[in-house]
Amino acid sequence: MRVGIDIGGTFTDLVAVSDSGHVDVYKLLSTPEDFGQALLDGLDVILERTKTPASALTELVHGTTVATNAILSETGAKTGLITTRGFRDVLEIGRLRMSRLYDFSWEKPKPLVPRRLRREVTERIAVDGTVQTVLDEGDVSDAIAFLKAECVTSVAVCFLNSYVNPAHERRIGDLLRSAGDWTVTLSCDVLPEIREFERTSTTVVNAYILPVVQRYLRTLKGSLETMGTKAPLRIMQSGGGVMDAETAAALPVQIVESGPAAGVVATAALGNRIGCENLIAFDMGGTTAKAALIEGGKILGAMDYEVGGGISLSGRLLGGGGYPIRVPCVDLAEVGAGGGSVLRVDAGGALQVGPDSAGADPGPVCYGCGGLRPTLTDANLVLGYLNPVGLAGGTLELDREAALECLIKTVADPMDLTVEEVALGAHRIASARMVRAVRAVSGERGYDPRAFTLVAFGGSGPLHAVDMAQELGIPQVLVPCAPGLFSAFGLLGARMQYDRVRTVLKPVDDLLPETVDRLFNGMAAEARVMIPGAELSRSADLRYVGQSYELSVTIPDEVHDLGAQLRKGFETAHKRAYGHMAENDPVEVVTLRLRAFLPAPELPLQAVGVTSGDSDSRPAYFGSDLGWHDVAVVSRSQLSVEPSVGPFIVEDYDATTLVPPGIWARLDEWGNVVIDLKS
Amino acid sequence: MSFFDPIELELLKNGLESVVDEMALTIVRTAYSTNLKNSMDFSTGLCDTEGNLVAQGLCLPLHLGSLPDGLAAILNRYRDDIEDGDVFILNDPYEGGTHLPDIYLYKPIFIDRTLLGFAAAIAHHTDIGGRVAGGNACDSTEIYQEGLRIPPVKLYEAGQPIQAIFDIIERNVRVPRNALGDLRAQLAACHICEQACYRMATRYGLDRFKAGFSELLLYAERLTRSEISAFPDGVYAFTDQLDDDGIDPDPIPITFTLTISGDRLIADFEGTAPQVRGAINSALSFTKSAVYACLRCLMSPDVPTNSGCFRCLDVRVPEATLANPVLPAPVAARGLTGFRLANTIMGALAQMAPDRVPACEVGGDTGISIGGYTADRTPFVFLEFLFGAWGGRPDRDGIDGCASIVVNFSNNPAEVIEAEYPLEILQYGFLPDTGGAGKYRGGLSLIREYRFTETEGILQIRSDRYISHPYGLQGGKPGALSRNILNPDDEARELPGKCLIPLKKGDVFCHVLAGAGGWGHPFERDTERVLEDVQNEKISIESAKRDFGVVIDSKTSTIDSEATIALRRKR
Repeated sequence: MRVGIDIGGTFTDLVAVSDSGHVDVYKLLSTPEDFGQALLDGLDVILERTKTPASALTELVHGTTVATNAILSETGAKTGLITTRGFRDVLEIGRLRMSRLYDFSWEKPKPLVPRRLRREVTERIAVDGTVQTVLDEGDVSDAIAFLKAECVTSVAVCFLNSYVNPAHERRIGDLLRSAGDWTVTLSCDVLPEIREFERTSTTVVNAYILPVVQRYLRTLKGSLETMGTKAPLRIMQSGGGVMDAETAAALPVQIVESGPAAGVVATAALGNRIGCENLIAFDMGGTTAKAALIEGGKILGAMDYEVGGGISLSGRLLGGGGYPIRVPCVDLAEVGAGGGSVLRVDAGGALQVGPDSAGADPGPVCYGCGGLRPTLTDANLVLGYLNPVGLAGGTLELDREAALECLIKTVADPMDLTVEEVALGAHRIASARMVRAVRAVSGERGYDPRAFTLVAFGGSGPLHAVDMAQELGIPQVLVPCAPGLFSAFGLLGARMQYDRVRTVLKPVDDLLPETVDRLFNGMAAEARVMIPGAELSRSADLRYVGQSYELSVTIPDEVHDLGAQLRKGFETAHKRAYGHMAENDPVEVVTLRLRAFLPAPELPLQAVGVTSGDSDSRPAYFGSDLGWHDVAVVSRSQLSVEPSVGPFIVEDYDATTLVPPGIWARLDEWGNVVIDLKS
Repeated sequence: MSFFDPIELELLKNGLESVVDEMALTIVRTAYSTNLKNSMDFSTGLCDTEGNLVAQGLCLPLHLGSLPDGLAAILNRYRDDIEDGDVFILNDPYEGGTHLPDIYLYKPIFIDRTLLGFAAAIAHHTDIGGRVAGGNACDSTEIYQEGLRIPPVKLYEAGQPIQAIFDIIERNVRVPRNALGDLRAQLAACHICEQACYRMATRYGLDRFKAGFSELLLYAERLTRSEISAFPDGVYAFTDQLDDDGIDPDPIPITFTLTISGDRLIADFEGTAPQVRGAINSALSFTKSAVYACLRCLMSPDVPTNSGCFRCLDVRVPEATLANPVLPAPVAARGLTGFRLANTIMGALAQMAPDRVPACEVGGDTGISIGGYTADRTPFVFLEFLFGAWGGRPDRDGIDGCASIVVNFSNNPAEVIEAEYPLEILQYGFLPDTGGAGKYRGGLSLIREYRFTETEGILQIRSDRYISHPYGLQGGKPGALSRNILNPDDEARELPGKCLIPLKKGDVFCHVLAGAGGWGHPFERDTERVLEDVQNEKISIESAKRDFGVVIDSKTSTIDSEATIALRRKR
């Protein structure tokens, strides 16, 4: 039996597939004081229910927030940093930029290593890799003694220009390891790339979470063995592949975006099954919405991410809000729009949704837990889109009267509009904000969203998907089975994957085939140790000489004139993204990348918890043209492959899909709700 | 009548903002020079047919007034001669621009042969020719010395490039490949805007889309008026100064008076020094930008950044002054003056809103240019602007190491500088005991050291605050002064704030930025925060005692409470 376990801030989701293909799912509350507890409890329930002995488990695939959580809650290790003399403040100075303009209350993220614990040693590697000043080992002894006296448990090292020559870092690494039982992270192991702040930051984040993640995974592994299983434990990486827990424990900076990546992997796997190569994954929960792109069956990746950067679209442009890390990750855009986003009227008389969120406490007004400010969930309830009997299968009853009264008083009356107009407006503004997230991963990357299918999941995704698709001109929306558990399914469809990188920084025409072969062979050897028998894919990052941002070009297995091929691939990509290319300008190769992977297992996605209850109806509002309308409420199993015309509402166990008037929807052979906007 | 209800208008606003941000991302990703791709010294926007700014990218607040003023200059000449496929260019500070390195591009956008508006992109080019590499010399005395001066002309006509203009630019700048690469980045941004407008016009319909522009301007005006009405009525004046203009030794006062009366606001620079001989005069539209950027900080984030907001702000600047020069005054290094104008305006705003405005920030004053030729006669021009620190705030400390609130710049990675220029960075960090003492401490000075590795070059420094300190507020102390030192471990020659000196191989140049001002009396500072600063080596034990009245035992690293209370009582 294989089990996927997705641990989020609120819920822990488990999906188990038996050897015969039977699927069982279980959802329980997360246990933030010890995230592993919910995993073990949930696993117990599943094993018990399916009468499976623990020894019959063959693989556990885990998406975890433990790394992110350690950073956000400031519960990482007491970390020290050793740098080249003159550069200990690089970590705190950062790149100076503010992620918000015109805000006197702006604060930079607090450095994960305070100035006192950042020590300098005399050494210097020149930009061409030669040793300019030999590493002063007396300085090193002093730094070690100081950090030991401060009871530091994890040490990061980042020397200037070590991306060209790591000799000094390697040497101090040896000295540090033999000096104590702390964990050591060298920048040349984590990110051998130019730009000292980004490299230092990535190294420090790794060092900061390393002991926490190691402890978590070791304990978990121990508990699983006690339970009676020796099945491999694998962890979802930010880049969308999985790796063994041991590897994850050594380089935890790679699993920071573990959770969100799983949903994108699920989308790609779903696309593969239904024969659709171009998809936009759209995941909306209680507080945030995320979008990512799959083109030609491939998940689009990025190399930069800010942990704890708060959520803002401007973050993509301005940065500076969080701790930057440079690791392969799914290219996600995230906006702070969710059921808890607060509605208000600004001084100019316009309706605003967010950026404040009512969160889980006090939550929306309709939860009756003391919330006094109207939220998006309140608006969706007033519009009749949500079932007043309640969310999560009726476990939480909603107070529609309270939501209505609050919306009238705080928003509708001040705007001199009816409550339905205001609620519908809020619904549409929220959709528009999420549209910007989709644009950020499509239009801003040079991809036309109209050529994609929108796959909507998460608790609230299917409620807004059609609105967004209309705004973006997307022809088709797909709501998969079990939208609320979709990410956990994704874990079981992910492949083993391991990435290696080498910086070259050479004009594309000067790239010697033997150099390229040597570098790729080195990376391949490393990768094959991690994943025996892996397939390999090669790519290069290129730019015009002078630019600071690269575009990635795949290197085919058969290469004739590598330089010419890379240049052509780059120019095509540049023209698509920016509308021009500079034919006579020199192009340079910045990095070579190798990705090793095994074929992905088949996604076991199927409908769960479907009840075929009687159909129901309730009044819902879709705009002044139609007014209030009595709308059918059906379960997924009541839909057929024959399209039905909206308005109607599809209620799953943990999500609600809205099919507006005049829009056609049907069930496909895999149980997805397919909404066609062009028919 | 209104084409948009408030909800649809919000949707239109979001849509346009994402277009201008997308333009900005395009420049970051495609530009060649460090000053654009790393520092983001550029602005993007969309203007209507009358030259009003409708939306501006999240770029550079100190460019806020520039986009509409540049377009006004173009409309002045070409109103009846604009066709699809044209692109206009200018950089003349006396006709639409603010200083020669800032090149403005405007691309008219036509939908069904009707002019919808203009995509606009301003970019600060690293070199624009003239007598000193880097385009920021303080000691020029006429605009004619400062480089290539481009009046409003067409760069493209009906889709065809005007090759002569490209050729003239290429022939006049030191590193043409970079200049043309950066110009292409600007064109790409305009192209992205045009494509997005086509899509939006299809969705909204042209007439409705155009009407939306005016409604957004009215909406911003309404919001701005309501913000001004909420400001307390009164007259608030403040004077700050520049140390000198690099030619004459005298300090240069800037005086600013803000008058609020109901929903009217008058920003007046009466009393500011006459225009100076050196190149730090600030063109009128740049002065207006400083006012807009500062006032914007006191307004709600909901206010859209467009001309509707600006037209509520009545900015008055006497002619032939530092803040509104006339021909042939040189203006290349006016960036420095922009920062001081902002410091001055903030000083006045701090009287109006003492509970919100921070003490004096630091950053942007300093521009470092190093130019020359390598052994094989290849030209190089290195240019960077150094930031910065925030002053202490009414409820919290300033920030150590941060961009200016009016110019959200980034810094350049040392490793990138070393890979691209004949320079080594020897040091980049905080200098202890430099932030203005206060209940809330001002940010620390940053020190940066460069070693020159080519045979010969010219170093040009534009800096200030080596005579006049960044001010503190409400009893907070001023920040430390800035310094320039040549070969600090050797001859340790102190250089003036503005100068031009030759460099030889191995020379080390060290710049120390000023420290930011403190807020509130330092003896009111939480003693634990003082101890933390000492532990983090941001202030010395001596400073803790002398400036903050906190006595710390150096052996145990603990506070001597009794001695501290006794010392603080003597305040």
